Amino acid sequence: MPVLTRGAYAEPGTSLAFKTGDWRTMRPVHKHWAAPCHGACPAGEDAQEWLARFQEGHPREAWETIAHINPLPAVTGRICPHPCETACNRTHYDSPIAIHALERWLGDQAILNNWSFPGAQGVAEPAAVAVVGAGPGGLSCAYQLARRGHKVTLIDALPEPGGLLRSAIPMTRLPRDVLDAEIGRILDLGITFKPHTRLGDEADLARLRQEHRAVFLAPGIGLAKNWSVGGQVPTDHRPALELLKEFIAHGKVPTPASVIIHGGGNTAVDLARVMKRAGVAEVHLVTASGLPGPDTEPGDILNVVPRELHEAIEEGIIFHPHRTIQRLLMRGSKLMGIEMVSLRKLPGASGRKSRVAFEGTETILHADMVIPAIGENVDPTGFEALLGGAPYFRPADEWGRLPGHPDLFVGGDARGDRGTAAGAIGDGRKAAEAIDLFLAGQEPVHQRRPTLPYDHLNMAYYEPAPRREPPVLPVEQRTDSDEIEGPLPDAEARAEANRCLSCGSCLACDNCWTYCPDNAVIKTIEQAQDGSHYVFDYEYCKGCGMCATECPCGYIVMEEDH
Amino acid sequence: MAKTPETAKKAPSKAASKPAKAKTAKAGDAKSGGAKGKSAAPAETPSRKVAAGVGTAPGVDAQALGGELAELRRRQPRFRGLEAGHRACQGCGEALGARLVMEAAGPDVMVANATGCLEVFTTPWPQSAWRVPWIHSLFENAAAVASGMEAALKARGHRTKVMAFGGDGSTFDIGFQALSGMLERTHNVLYVCFDNEAYMNTGIQRSSSTPHAAATTTSPAGSQRMGKRHLKKDLLQIIAAHHVPYAASASVAYAADLRRKVRRAIEIEGPTFLLLHVPCPLGWGHDGAKTIEIARLAVQTGLFPVVELERNELAGVMPIRQPRPVSDYLKLQNRFRHLFGNDHRARQEREHLQALADHNIATYHLLGEEPDPLDTEGADTVRRGGLIA
Repeated sequence: MPVLTRGAYAEPGTSLAFKTGDWRTMRPVHKHWAAPCHGACPAGEDAQEWLARFQEGHPREAWETIAHINPLPAVTGRICPHPCETACNRTHYDSPIAIHALERWLGDQAILNNWSFPGAQGVAEPAAVAVVGAGPGGLSCAYQLARRGHKVTLIDALPEPGGLLRSAIPMTRLPRDVLDAEIGRILDLGITFKPHTRLGDEADLARLRQEHRAVFLAPGIGLAKNWSVGGQVPTDHRPALELLKEFIAHGKVPTPASVIIHGGGNTAVDLARVMKRAGVAEVHLVTASGLPGPDTEPGDILNVVPRELHEAIEEGIIFHPHRTIQRLLMRGSKLMGIEMVSLRKLPGASGRKSRVAFEGTETILHADMVIPAIGENVDPTGFEALLGGAPYFRPADEWGRLPGHPDLFVGGDARGDRGTAAGAIGDGRKAAEAIDLFLAGQEPVHQRRPTLPYDHLNMAYYEPAPRREPPVLPVEQRTDSDEIEGPLPDAEARAEANRCLSCGSCLACDNCWTYCPDNAVIKTIEQAQDGSHYVFDYEYCKGCGMCATECPCGYIVMEEDH
Repeated sequence: MAKTPETAKKAPSKAASKPAKAKTAKAGDAKSGGAKGKSAAPAETPSRKVAAGVGTAPGVDAQALGGELAELRRRQPRFRGLEAGHRACQGCGEALGARLVMEAAGPDVMVANATGCLEVFTTPWPQSAWRVPWIHSLFENAAAVASGMEAALKARGHRTKVMAFGGDGSTFDIGFQALSGMLERTHNVLYVCFDNEAYMNTGIQRSSSTPHAAATTTSPAGSQRMGKRHLKKDLLQIIAAHHVPYAASASVAYAADLRRKVRRAIEIEGPTFLLLHVPCPLGWGHDGAKTIEIARLAVQTGLFPVVELERNELAGVMPIRQPRPVSDYLKLQNRFRHLFGNDHRARQEREHLQALADHNIATYHLLGEEPDPLDTEGADTVRRGGLIA
């Protein structure tokens, strides 16, 4: 007689015949939200998604996830003002994920290990497409078209590709070997690069359009805006971008005893720091924007990479926020100083914000030189008719289409509403997608998921963890050539990636599976085809909503069930 | 991915041809329940679900799985000792608690269940949600029946673990002497008390486990009293005073901790006891979606200390990282609603409950000194790919 080791056994639960799903009025569904970092990224990267691959222990997959969207992660990881970190939901809890440092870490790993770009679905009929301007926007567009199989010709006026990345970003922020490695990898996809090629007149553009089925224009902005103070201009003044480019090309900047830089962008701050290191005793920066702080609205903060601003203050740059130059103090044609006045951007009668200067707040600042850094316009040479006298191109949509010219697409700084390399990279990618569809006779489709608000997270399931900051060179060790911010050590990078809350995407944490009183969550990787590991068993789900409440990342929502 | 209706419809005929096996527990309803046996689920699965068609909303694939659902349910990587289809209310903490206890206990157990919600909602005649041998006799004698089962198994040389389940009514009040006897006779039984702090099954009457100041139908809040006048009985200390090898409290909000305690108690040869705090949305008056949140707050405020006692010595506690004020816990429940009125007694009773929580924290040394992976905030921290248990 067989001996049972167990005392007895029972038949399966017969209550399965009773379908408690009939009780339900609400049902749980998976909802894949966009994490705020994704919504905020001008390039369109989904940081949450690549951080997830990183958390799973697959850095190469993480990098490939970035590379589908952005072919220059080692560059953007270094120079981007990272609006993703500003938007990060973890800000409300302790401090945001150091996304830029992790992006850079992955980008560096890709260069170090010579990872190649992930494949893309090719097209049936490759077409010839021209890209004007080899800055981040042009490179991004050329990359996306080339990996789809199109024949891309990339032209640029300068001898080397990179645009402002090469000509205007100091080596202290972006080492050139990193730039060369990432650009080289793009050009290796079979892109024909023609340097020293400038569109001289409109016939050039017409010829380009004849020879190619579509043209992407990313010429950037090369013409400094006209600057004067009440009609006055010092005879020897030169715009900041020009001086910065000259410094990067030749290593020389003027060194007066004191200088005033007028403007509040990255160019102004970069030049200020370069001049300070070159020996200028007093570097003043006069800007209408404010420094981050309680009396500055978020939209009014200096448009500078936050850590660069912090480093500039460390290095002794003197900021005059919420100020403008009202009058130049001249002795003949020589500058003696300026008269500054406080101002704020305030809504007027129509509700639109404009700058209001406050009488009685005038102050005098003595200096030997004033440098305007108020921005640039598109150099109209070759595009006169297209621009029609406007300072920038005004494309109709996010794809960069120009009304009346179905084969022309515009992106990057030339749009006038961009201003970051990441924005240009996003433009390039979107234009490439639109071009690819245009060549196939199709329309691009706008896809956007709603962004997950912080209060949809269940923070009981997370723990505070300090943000890992990358090492920074002390002020006294900073030079004109060495990179100031270092890489995160490997272990720190992994720990930092693990801080990601996975906003709006399944963490596979098993909470829904664990906490369903009715066994109505089924764990399965094969059948769950929505990026999660679970399906709901609606035959038994009573709709209590516990899974939705206990989902840490807001991935489960309750909806009406009819 | 979706099964064709043809494939799915095969299930019933296959199931029907299979003779029902009903070698089952002693439970009164098991015979007729067993007659439906395995065939029950697949028989009803395809007709409704295939008709419902392929799920449209993202993540609603289960709709389209049809006949595969039954197979998927079987393939779950955990022991489903308490099956779906039971009649517990939406968001029932006790059903969840029992499910988690059964998962951790595994299939080689037998259960004696006292009268109470758990007994009623799992075994409506002729069905049973249990996948282990299970018996219900009376309200007061779960421990006595379990003692007998254990003695019989021992006599026949089986090592199957016997568990006794009861609510707070049958454990703190009605079945208390039987429990005490079982502990005194050192039967090898794990007794799990599902503590939802009142007689929920019969209509929310106060028990000796009902916390001070909670309103029930027999301790209503009004001009004479602010809910229950007396204190919650400290049952765990009474159990521990029997010098049992293991007596612990746990909360459904901390599943990993609960599973560990069940496994530990099952391994021990001798009488062991687990007091499991399980919110009742109906009796406590809260949204069923907040069951876990409320259970967690009970622990984090100190009102329900999660501790382990071995031979009447404190062997371990779940430290509280940052104690929450008791009002965070109270204000989510209608049974404490009267504590938030203008009545001067409301404030007094709130302070009283806060003092009780502080007393628990002091008595059991619940305050963590530094962040700990097993404290009230670390114990349920999630990682990609699952809990660190």
